[in-house]
Amino acid sequence: MSDTASSAPKPITSRFDPRFEPTLYAHVGVPGSHTLSYYRSHGGYEAASKALGLEPKAVVDEVKASGLRGRGGAGFPTGVKWSFMPPVDGRQRFIVCNADESEPGSFKDRYLLEDDPHQLIEGMLIAGWAIQATIGVVYVRGEYYHAYGRLAAAIDEARAAGILGRGVLGSEFDFDLILHRGAGAYICGEETALMNSFEGLRANPRLKPPFPAQAGVYGLPSTINNVESFCAAVHIVARGAAWHAAMGTDDSKGMKLYQVSGPVARPGVYEVPMGATFRELIMELAGGPSEPAKAIIPGGSSTPLLPWSDATLDLPMDYGTMAKHRSMLGTGGVIVIPERKCIVDAYYNVVRFYAHESCGKCTPCREGSATWLPKMYQKLLAGQGTHEDLALMEDMVKHMRGTAFCPLADACAMPVQASFEHFRHEYEHLVDQGESLYPRRREWAA
Amino acid sequence: MSSRQPLPTVTPFFADKQERLSEILARYPEYGRRSALMPLLWEVQRAERHVSEARVEEIAEILGLHATEVKGVMSFYGTYHEHPVGRYHLQVCRTLSCSLAGADTLADFLEDELDLVNGETDPEGRFSLQYVECLGSCGTAPVLQVNDTYFERVSRSRCRALLDAMRRDTLPEPTLERGGDNEPNAPDQEGGAA
Repeated sequence: MSDTASSAPKPITSRFDPRFEPTLYAHVGVPGSHTLSYYRSHGGYEAASKALGLEPKAVVDEVKASGLRGRGGAGFPTGVKWSFMPPVDGRQRFIVCNADESEPGSFKDRYLLEDDPHQLIEGMLIAGWAIQATIGVVYVRGEYYHAYGRLAAAIDEARAAGILGRGVLGSEFDFDLILHRGAGAYICGEETALMNSFEGLRANPRLKPPFPAQAGVYGLPSTINNVESFCAAVHIVARGAAWHAAMGTDDSKGMKLYQVSGPVARPGVYEVPMGATFRELIMELAGGPSEPAKAIIPGGSSTPLLPWSDATLDLPMDYGTMAKHRSMLGTGGVIVIPERKCIVDAYYNVVRFYAHESCGKCTPCREGSATWLPKMYQKLLAGQGTHEDLALMEDMVKHMRGTAFCPLADACAMPVQASFEHFRHEYEHLVDQGESLYPRRREWAA
Repeated sequence: MSSRQPLPTVTPFFADKQERLSEILARYPEYGRRSALMPLLWEVQRAERHVSEARVEEIAEILGLHATEVKGVMSFYGTYHEHPVGRYHLQVCRTLSCSLAGADTLADFLEDELDLVNGETDPEGRFSLQYVECLGSCGTAPVLQVNDTYFERVSRSRCRALLDAMRRDTLPEPTLERGGDNEPNAPDQEGGAA
């Protein structure tokens, strides 16, 4: 570990942890890794065969005991979610994969879909057996066309090999997948909006309850998980819950695909055990910032930023620690913000994203995220803002918290609040001087 | 609005594609026929680079919906087009990570080179320019999506080469960028990731 680490106790997790080896991401980037023959030659579908030999409840219990929490951002315990399914009553049941990865700073699922589609299929098959769902739905965002093609080919291969269809892998269990392509709407990452979209409706979120286990796809019992969660389930079944639970911190178990973007030497996806520190991820794996940094966004643009400091770098990236520091682990999509980037400009960019993606259903989001906030930012950046405007913005984001159907308004309001908390002086400078403390740069690689 | 018959002069898109149409409809359970709406829109758009009113009405007819319901769904999503886009539909991500990697300058460069602003198509129907939000290529920013293909780490020289190729009506194969552990200069990963 870095010799500049402070005296904070080191977390037990590291890629040098002897209990750890790359699992989820072991085959990404390997030529041919998307094919069934490659996957099978690396132990593929052995976990599914093992699961099919167990009682469904035993599979759910194994995933519960592993401590796996949803990797899509919310961190809800996966096994507990599976156990919410009502008793089998003859109605069709669905297992749904949320492959609508769209949170800025997140790109881990794309590589899994493109380079290891069979890992996802196996995870969904295991989950389908566990909750006794015979149809799986993979909802892939529209822009991931290459991933869509790879998945479609993998599903065809799996059908031809008896891995999907009637009596999968020689068992009595029928299971097949429907591959569905989205069309460019971040809101489809919200589980009930995704279900509406799949049904051929506008992707407005539904009121909860009822939750998907009671009334999901077509109003039938459904469970929805993230791509990475399904992939983790494969390894949990293969190696056992204890293996998974041994890695990580008290409230965050197993391995995680963290992503780093922004000005660092080697941006990309890194698989490390949960609770590795920002220092290990950013400084060691990603090679450190290529210019002085001032803030870290820990898990996608909706997660409140943390100021760049030794203390922040030494924080373990787990659910509890991020919550304690009033942020979130989110998708693990870390964005490094350089010193010379105006924070007001950076958060105008973030707000513009949520403005574009608001579905317009709820007033706080339609008026707040989609209308007033971007306009206030434009006014500030034009040098015409006042201190009253700043007060109004702060008041407005308060009223966007917890007041809409779905978390999109919160996703817009939380990071703005944090930018005010940590970088208020940049907003005030812009108001007082009429220009940004850090002028906009026009740099682009030659 | 009642569902009108397509104009008699327009040959239905699926007239000679019944097999493909059946294949798409068969993906979904009988009670979930409406799920085929988005795939049918994609099917038309892929061939015609937009979905016209006539096609909207045809899809409505197939699914037993009103045209306005189909239009309502279509207009909700960012990637269906009412008007034809160019043969090369350039989509520039300007969200935070791409912006930090120079995407705003890339966007300006494209506007200048193509003499187009966001949302426009040139008179020859060759290029369309559109600003889009995060494409999930943050680690290999900036990204330029051409039709359905990602071109990543688009530097000024790469962008020029790409434009030159498209002006000759060719599109180079994208290099699959991965970043992170797959970089040539990445530190050794214990456990043997590639």
